[in-house]
Amino acid sequence: MSDEKRGPRNDPENNRSQGLNRDSFLQFCETMEDVSRTRSMNGKIARFAAYLGGLPGTGDVDLACRFAGEGAFPSVSGRRASVGHRTIGICAAEFCGIDYDLVFKPCRTATGSSSETIQRLMENLDEVRAKQRSSLPGLRQIESEFERLGQARSRDNKQALLHEIWTRLSPVEVKYFIRIMGQGSLRTGFEARSITPAIAAAFGADAEQVRYVHMITGSLGRTAALAREGRLHEAGFGLFHPLAFMLASPIESRSIGDLAGYVAEEKFDGMRCQVHTDGGEVRLYSRDLNDISGSFPEVTAVFAGKQLPPTVLDGELCVFRDNTIRPFQHLQKRMGLKKPSNKILESHPVIFIAYDVMFTGGRPVFDLPLGERRELLEDLSAEYHINLTRQYTIADEADVERLFNEALARGNEGLMLKRRGSTYEYGQRKKSWLKVKKPGGSIDTVIMYATAGSGRRGGTYSDFTLGVSVKDDDRYEEEFIPIGKAYGGYSNEELKKLNEAIKPLIADRFGPTLSLLPGIVVEVEFDTIQLNRRTKAGYTLRLPRFRAIRWDLTPADADTLRDVEKLYDELVNAERASQAGEMSFYRGGSRV
Amino acid sequence: MIYIEKSGWQGFRLPDYRVALDAGGHPNDHVFITHAHADHVPRDRKLTVHCSAATAALMRVRGFTGEARVHDFLQPVDLPGCRVTLYPAGHILGSAMVFVETDQGSLLYTGDFRTPPSPTTEGFEEPAGADYLITEATFSLPVYRWKPQEELFQMIREFATDALADGDTPVFLCYNLGKAQEVMHALAPAVDRIQIHGAGYGLCQVYTEFGYDLGNYETYNRDTLEGSALITPGSTLDSAMLGSIRRKRVAYCSGWASNDARRVQLNADAMIPLSDHADFFELIDFCKRMQPRHVYITHTPNPDVVSHYLSKEGISSSGMITEGKADE
Repeated sequence: MSDEKRGPRNDPENNRSQGLNRDSFLQFCETMEDVSRTRSMNGKIARFAAYLGGLPGTGDVDLACRFAGEGAFPSVSGRRASVGHRTIGICAAEFCGIDYDLVFKPCRTATGSSSETIQRLMENLDEVRAKQRSSLPGLRQIESEFERLGQARSRDNKQALLHEIWTRLSPVEVKYFIRIMGQGSLRTGFEARSITPAIAAAFGADAEQVRYVHMITGSLGRTAALAREGRLHEAGFGLFHPLAFMLASPIESRSIGDLAGYVAEEKFDGMRCQVHTDGGEVRLYSRDLNDISGSFPEVTAVFAGKQLPPTVLDGELCVFRDNTIRPFQHLQKRMGLKKPSNKILESHPVIFIAYDVMFTGGRPVFDLPLGERRELLEDLSAEYHINLTRQYTIADEADVERLFNEALARGNEGLMLKRRGSTYEYGQRKKSWLKVKKPGGSIDTVIMYATAGSGRRGGTYSDFTLGVSVKDDDRYEEEFIPIGKAYGGYSNEELKKLNEAIKPLIADRFGPTLSLLPGIVVEVEFDTIQLNRRTKAGYTLRLPRFRAIRWDLTPADADTLRDVEKLYDELVNAERASQAGEMSFYRGGSRV
Repeated sequence: MIYIEKSGWQGFRLPDYRVALDAGGHPNDHVFITHAHADHVPRDRKLTVHCSAATAALMRVRGFTGEARVHDFLQPVDLPGCRVTLYPAGHILGSAMVFVETDQGSLLYTGDFRTPPSPTTEGFEEPAGADYLITEATFSLPVYRWKPQEELFQMIREFATDALADGDTPVFLCYNLGKAQEVMHALAPAVDRIQIHGAGYGLCQVYTEFGYDLGNYETYNRDTLEGSALITPGSTLDSAMLGSIRRKRVAYCSGWASNDARRVQLNADAMIPLSDHADFFELIDFCKRMQPRHVYITHTPNPDVVSHYLSKEGISSSGMITEGKADE
């Protein structure tokens, strides 16, 4: 059924193999489809390895791995095709000759995936099949299409380009084209940590060495290219390419038998940041690997003044004033600003507090144990006066409890427990770092809207907009107004039950979203409350998640906006112990 | 104009003619049941109902104890003020569309239908036209277009023979009335033995009595499972029963299997998009052929999409909300 629309199979540029050219994008897409259908991870790895092994050139291997695990552009490049979801959806609806709101959106809700929707509409609609013919582009041609999209400026230009490119692709190619362009997961259940063993298997390289080279280059494509040519040993780490951060797991989800195997640090209520510095050149990178140097000029300037040898540090940006670390809400005022004014630089000054080092002394130090990295970091901190988080040894629960309360008293979020001897597990969320956090609080809310999820949760109502009561509030005419949207915290069983329970409450539908009559009360837990002028309530909850569905309560029991305002004031104005005495970190590296 | 009102969980009534469709209706209504799926059978198991012979037999296996007035397909039944004819709907064994002719015009209620029909049904036939059409639209979006039936049956057979050749038990997750028997019928020429989860066995016997070949089947027995294909409802996926079968390969057979998200949710080895319902394009074509004055669209969260496409064909339509999602 799908063969006839693939068009001719002779690509003028490549005639190395009969049938589908191995370096064609279609071959890549079909391999990914096969990987997606394969259930066992070893099976996925074997299939992808066989595909890599069969590619004709090193450049193709580089691109195949990049497309499979990074996106349209190398993740270290920080580049994006920058085509929004809406642009893609509108363009697809127009391409397929269907109404965007009336037809495309319900289809997307049903499948839970924009790219899958587009693929299937293209396959199903006769008039679309008639105008689409794959020119069987190679991987390199696809790369240049991404390049063109990345350079196109206006939305109109991007749409025109997409339209033109899609006429030369088959539906399955379009699906992967869109997924790769999104610089996210291809949804094949095959991510970077499985691609590295596939690279090793394809080229007979040592899996551990491949993993390491990926770690220091930050590029799957480059790693694969080096592996194919037997040049993995040549890989070197270069500064000014951000590395994926090591991530922490919540302590609730892990059971730890040996607390003494960990050290503790206070967990700052700030923004994760990676500093790359070499003499006067300094770059700051955010958790999502964007260059944020311009937003925090005071931090950049401080490092430039220190004239460090090539160094990469991991740490936290915090607003620090009057000898206290200010709440996250203060830092939030700085986060969106590309060019902060002098006024806000003065009222909301930001500092960097280091807690790890990944490059120093002319070499990457990821694979050194935590203790050795800490020593190197302490030496750097002492010599160059770098703020350094304080580290505590712990023996038992009682120590954790005491330190946790001290951290809270200083306005910090809680503790980080770091396993002694652990390496810097680039880009991974494992048991080596554990976060001990106290929820900011919880309130009872009413479910106002339910939205069908996407991806894994496609077709199920899994996102819930929660409201607080304003019934007796003169400022509002409504009974309830939204305060946040929660996507998790419930079990699969509870989700099923919720999906049943909302049915009789449906008042209206807006595409994937159901408007619900007040009926279900949810106790929602959150990290903190933030001011947000763009919302009706003026406040939003940060990281709201279900703590319990209160089947025992009715909407009349829901908390009010006044309650939220009170909580906000408490959170922001809570007494914070100053850093003058006992400190969370060593200021300018000076050890107390 | 024929007046239609909602009745029961998912059914309708024509109050002027005392005809109830897939609903208990009022006392003394003539209750027509299109097919034996639970969402179309009234809760009251002691009612007197009109239906096809196979539907009556299947309902009895599922606990119906009332009186069933059985009608042949295409044989009109005269009732006060109207004439009612059952047309085979192609959905599951016994499934019928109910065609009501009155001096106010004709009305066709589809129940659930599938074109082209399942081979384990009496086929699909439609009246020449209907003034009013109440149609189900379970797969009411253009993302739903089914592969040819023979291609899907081939997938089913290959999945089973490949698994058996490797010493694995092929497990087919399918709804135990309709889909289960269709999959067994597809498997019959390819596998020696089939086992079916207990709840489905009695229903299979009805199919056998009506002359459909479901292969060599027996109820599930852990001790003799090896070498058989296993048919079981999707709800047993996480059950101890399936958990105890160490070497298995699982295929999910449903129209919903066409959505990739289902693959991840179910963690199945194969997704076989075999549906009991017409796809979107067949649905629109069917509505066009009926040349109706008005179409009422049910069994879908997206009646507006169908209406949008029908209006392009100059057909007036509107959604009639019924609760719940059809069993598949």
